[in-house]
Amino acid sequence: MGLLPDEAKVLPPPGIVNRNSVWFGLCGWATAMLHNSLNRRPALKAGVHRQALFITVGWFIGYHLTKFENYKYATLDRDMSEYIRLHPEEFPEKALKTFAEIVEPFHPIR
Amino acid sequence: MPLGRLFLRTSTVNKMVSRNSFIASKPDPSKPNMLRVGLAFGSTAVLWALLFKQHSTDVHEYKTRNGLE
Repeated sequence: MGLLPDEAKVLPPPGIVNRNSVWFGLCGWATAMLHNSLNRRPALKAGVHRQALFITVGWFIGYHLTKFENYKYATLDRDMSEYIRLHPEEFPEKALKTFAEIVEPFHPIR
Repeated sequence: MPLGRLFLRTSTVNKMVSRNSFIASKPDPSKPNMLRVGLAFGSTAVLWALLFKQHSTDVHEYKTRNGLE
């Protein structure tokens, strides 16, 4: 973990197939196909090595981005929970009403 | 119309790309530069290996830190 601190290792790592990886992989593939098109080559059948490399780079960046995203959201959740724990007066338990108390009396007109 | 045809104008309009006229040649698709292809596939394989190794390290770290193994 390059830019993640040590505490981030407590979090469950994302799977190899994850949202950001798939998206960045597809973006890389689209880039390779665009490169083919702009150089007047058949988009899908030319430069397969380039397509593979771009997909892989995108997938790799996506995996690390997912890890970073998980860590950021985890720190936000931790700070929020800690704030709620330290300021209970701002989060009173609401008295729950049953439906019997809220609903008006029913007078059937048949 | 195939989507590729829509982009054909760009290479004629963009004159910024230039090469040394003494050694330049038209790129020949029937003779691929095997070094470049080999490097591309090689680095692809290296990146996938790095990814899988990083993932297994992360899973192992997670399990040891949370006492699951």
